[in-house]
Amino acid sequence: MNAGMGFHLSHFQSLLLFALLISIAFGFLSRRRPIDRVKYIVWSLFLFLLIGVGIGWAMYPFSR
Amino acid sequence: MADEMATPAAPPQDSRRETMAFVVGVAGWLVPGLGHALMKMWGRAVACFLTVGLLVILGAGMRGNVFSSRGNDAFDSLGYLADLGTGTFYLLARSLETGGADVSHAGGDYGTRFLAAAGVLNLLAALHAYEAARGRKA
Repeated sequence: MNAGMGFHLSHFQSLLLFALLISIAFGFLSRRRPIDRVKYIVWSLFLFLLIGVGIGWAMYPFSR
Repeated sequence: MADEMATPAAPPQDSRRETMAFVVGVAGWLVPGLGHALMKMWGRAVACFLTVGLLVILGAGMRGNVFSSRGNDAFDSLGYLADLGTGTFYLLARSLETGGADVSHAGGDYGTRFLAAAGVLNLLAALHAYEAARGRKA
């Protein structure tokens, strides 16, 4: 892969991808039953996005 | 009386198990998911391999900083340690990023975080496999 083939993602797409991958890994590592894994992944993903967007909005007044 | 005479010597199985756990942990660090694969935890093995692999490929594709051992400051050294956590995937990241890092835009900065997170995640997975091999966690 050279420099011309780099991925160009927006802030939110990057956050979403990161949150999804980490949530999947955490779900598989920390739970054994498939249903528990799915619940954990969904909940973890939701919290990642909520806190990420929340911190983004909290920093908004200081961005200018 | 016979019970009192019996000394609780460490069974040879324990030291063998400890050695195996160490091998599993190191294997899990070198190749993401291999530690769990050796423990026949296939779901976790595939999940670790894919998530760490995708984070490395995305991070390098976004032209994140793949730190080398010749760091200028403590943050570079910490970044290098985190990147090394991906094991052999560190070499993959270096080979993918032939154009060098570009952290002048947000994508490159995210890429650096993706690579570091992949390393720390893999270390966590390797530690999990080690503990599972010791019989402490399943």
